[in-house]
Amino acid sequence: MAGTTLSGWDTKTAVALVAAGALAVGLSGCGKGDDQGVSGSYDTSGKSSAEVAVEAAKPLCADGKTITIVWEAGLQSLDPIKFSGPKWTEATGCKVEVVEVPTSEMFTKIAQDYRAGSGAYDALNVIPAWMPDLVQMGALEELDGLVDKYGYRGELQNIAATYRDNQMTVDGKIYGFPDDGDVFLMYYRKDIFARQDLQDAYKSKTGKDLVVPTTWEDFISVGQFLTGALKKEGTFGASMFREPGYGNFMFQERFRNEGGKFFDGDMKATVNSAAGVKVFNDWLTENKFMAKGVEKFGFVENLAEFVQGKSAMTISWPPYGRFAAGYLENEEALNWVPKTQIAGKIGYALPPGGHPELAAGFALSVASGSKNKEAAYLFIQWLNSEEISNQRVQLPYALRDPFRNSHFENEGYKALWPDAKDYLAALGDAAQTGLLDLSLIQTDKYEEALRQGISRLWAGDNPQKILDDVAAEWDKITASVGTDKQKAVYESWAAKSGAYPN
Amino acid sequence: MKNKRPLSQLILGDRGFKYQLIAPSIFILLLIGIFPLIYTLLVSFQGITMMDNDTSFHGLQNYTALGTDTRLWEALMHTIIFTCIALPIELLLGLLMAQLFIDKLPGRQIFIALLVLPVVVAPVVSGATWSLLLDTRFGPINQILGWFTGEEVTLLWTINPDLVYPSILAAEIWQWTPFMFLLLLAALSAVDKSQLEAASIDGAGYWTTFFKIVLPAIWPVMAVAILIRGLDLFRLFDIVWALTRGGPGTMTETISIFTYVKGFQQFETSYTGAVALLIIILLSVLVIGALKKVEIAR
Repeated sequence: MAGTTLSGWDTKTAVALVAAGALAVGLSGCGKGDDQGVSGSYDTSGKSSAEVAVEAAKPLCADGKTITIVWEAGLQSLDPIKFSGPKWTEATGCKVEVVEVPTSEMFTKIAQDYRAGSGAYDALNVIPAWMPDLVQMGALEELDGLVDKYGYRGELQNIAATYRDNQMTVDGKIYGFPDDGDVFLMYYRKDIFARQDLQDAYKSKTGKDLVVPTTWEDFISVGQFLTGALKKEGTFGASMFREPGYGNFMFQERFRNEGGKFFDGDMKATVNSAAGVKVFNDWLTENKFMAKGVEKFGFVENLAEFVQGKSAMTISWPPYGRFAAGYLENEEALNWVPKTQIAGKIGYALPPGGHPELAAGFALSVASGSKNKEAAYLFIQWLNSEEISNQRVQLPYALRDPFRNSHFENEGYKALWPDAKDYLAALGDAAQTGLLDLSLIQTDKYEEALRQGISRLWAGDNPQKILDDVAAEWDKITASVGTDKQKAVYESWAAKSGAYPN
Repeated sequence: MKNKRPLSQLILGDRGFKYQLIAPSIFILLLIGIFPLIYTLLVSFQGITMMDNDTSFHGLQNYTALGTDTRLWEALMHTIIFTCIALPIELLLGLLMAQLFIDKLPGRQIFIALLVLPVVVAPVVSGATWSLLLDTRFGPINQILGWFTGEEVTLLWTINPDLVYPSILAAEIWQWTPFMFLLLLAALSAVDKSQLEAASIDGAGYWTTFFKIVLPAIWPVMAVAILIRGLDLFRLFDIVWALTRGGPGTMTETISIFTYVKGFQQFETSYTGAVALLIIILLSVLVIGALKKVEIAR
């Protein structure tokens, strides 16, 4: 019979099958992008991780590929726009497109891109507390295979312990490279604490030496005293973040330093325990010796207060230390920073309690929907490597803070301003004892309830009542996620070294 | 007996030309209006959340959840409070200003242009501006109050429960009263002068003339203005977001903010679909009722 093959199929059927097969191969090829598979290993002998990344990326970038990376809008993104992006392009031929997104919208944008399946992003900046949500959603690529392929595990071990052990993995798998040493430090005026008249007066009033406080009780005592002594000179004992978005981090730190636990063994919220109420009551006490209107203080308000010499102590992220020191204050991108009046007078210490919050921070990840996963991976490996990250954390205009052991020992960094070595030493200490942000499924819902509670505190509500309501809301959220499911995530988080003070 | 014409002739023939002209508009309207509505309806019966792209049929689960969500009903109540206070004040102030400017005053055009400026400012910019004005330490409002009291004033306008509603309402009324003013000025300008003269000759007083002649004449325009502003106030978002983000707690959270938080921050997609449908139904009932009331639905 005409058109009949040996197998018994007619010609049309055979043609259709061949065409379908070709189409399937073509489609799978389209979806595959640059992926060459994560199996196998790359010859990394005698090369640094940065060199490996560049060498491996060159063939992938031969066609002028563009890597799109999501980065926090503002100063943060000046790093890839002005420094690392052009440098990577020059080294590999890959262009870098930076998508600037405000922090508050980053999660949403990443989630929307994944849900829409648009593959618009290749690499991502991810706040570590979001990782469980994004991993569960499927939005992040697991990186273990590529880490092994390109021999990056060794350099990852040199990331400071608290970041490495707490901000890299979900369920033991790597989904991001910790890339920002965002940790709270206490900044204080060395010149004020050194004044003999103040030391004598404090001693006669309290029987104690006037030293940088290491407990919250001492912080209140010293703050009250300094305000009383210095208010006429225009200086308050302390200033602090109080705006709820920032207060959320400060509460989490202080609550745990006071011995609080977020949940009990049955996954019932215990944020309304005595420790929580004490934190809220202490805040109200402290506000009385701080500037009026402190309830509205965010990053810039608090920074202005401190660098203009209007407060003797504050707690914040690492950039405060650089801004207050006047490090490259003539940099154009920093012209919004109030001119420091206290350069050379700043001391650095761990906040009272000794366990500072690893507040927010950033990890570098690869989007699971990317069509250029391998090239994106190589870009973030290069960014995060010893060689390149040491340069990035010293950029005066960007906000990446030291996070590798080598950053704290960097002689070039230590020479950037007279007290830089003390600054790095304090950051190095914080990198050993820092506390993780609470990280659960739907973390933002828990944080939102806490933020609302803080705003109610400033509105005059009763601390115990507020925290009872927050705890009730947390229990509702836990129930909606599924108590057992959330409990497993919480226990995994709580088992990390940075979850609670040892 | 009627001649039956085939559909193709109806569409493609000379008489069908009008359908061809409006077809693109109808298509676009369906695409951007009806399709999202139907899709939202569909999604509201599913179980899509941040964690779970569950598109299976969940029945009325999301709708029954609406009933027990106290935060939703509180947000609705806050919205109603904002609407019920701001709308009459904007209407009254707009009418008073329109009455003032109906006469040919010197520099009238310049004043009108200046008065209208707030309307052309984006609400989010307006909110940010008011946020600066009301800033506790550096805001001019506290500073001006300080001149009168003779001491530093640090009122927490956007935190203090007694001040937070007046602050939001002040910003809202400042921005949208000129809109009322413009519409009512146009309506007042169109009132038949001969009727006013006749009333005057007949000895009618100001209030009689206003209630018997002016108000009925401007009522259709006023009703539309109330309707537009009422709908705008019902979806109040930008100014509140810029000033308080719905706080303290959820004290000033409007239904729009609630929907945004649920939909775009917490990704409760299907539940938010149910909330959106609830709002659409509520607003439709209100609008249809209002239109019937003012007899312009026909």
